[in-house]
Amino acid sequence: MGSPSSEIAAEASVALPPDVALHARPAGAFVREAAQFAASIVVTANGRGANAKSILEVLALGATGGTTLELTASGGDAAEAVERLAEVVAQLG
Amino acid sequence: MTTNGYVGLILVSHSQRIAEGLAELVAQVAGPDVPIEAIGGGPEGTLGTDGGRVHDALRRGATGAGSVVLMDLGSSVLAVRASLAELDATERAALHVADAPLVEGAVAAGVSASMGSDAATVAQAAEEARGIAKL
Repeated sequence: MGSPSSEIAAEASVALPPDVALHARPAGAFVREAAQFAASIVVTANGRGANAKSILEVLALGATGGTTLELTASGGDAAEAVERLAEVVAQLG
Repeated sequence: MTTNGYVGLILVSHSQRIAEGLAELVAQVAGPDVPIEAIGGGPEGTLGTDGGRVHDALRRGATGAGSVVLMDLGSSVLAVRASLAELDATERAALHVADAPLVEGAVAAGVSASMGSDAATVAQAAEEARGIAKL
């Protein structure tokens, strides 16, 4: 109560499907979905973090199939954002 | 070219193959909705710049939601500038020239355009590409 929205945080871990790298089309689909939310969203893979709404940062992760992505978000719709993005990642193909 | 409501991209390169290959890459990342014009090479099909084709592309792109223009090097930039000077104020207002690295800028711009962003926002996405580390 009364906390600034930036402190509302949510997180989730989700693995990319074994045969889907977070490149080109899948990365575009992920970023477009992330941009639907107001929350600040960071996706971390192999120890590197990226703004989930930046296609170039997401591509720079170089996340290959099967890599576990950590999603963290802050802001009003952080929980929905993380939940939805985890679904999107699991269904990439 | 920009009659479907999405901001278009105009890619101007010294090489038609660079322009077309980049258009293909952007379409794969950004999806099929964003209109992309690939303008590359000189009038004889050599490496270079064809001011007439650049001008025609800019004129086509200055319709609908407008377009963001990205260039590779030197004379591509000069050709775009020369073309802009010949367009009327309404056409110029519909075109946003992005000062950005061509490949990274086009990919960032394509994704932004695919989300229905306006031309100024798409150009800004392209220009932000300058600050993003690859390594």
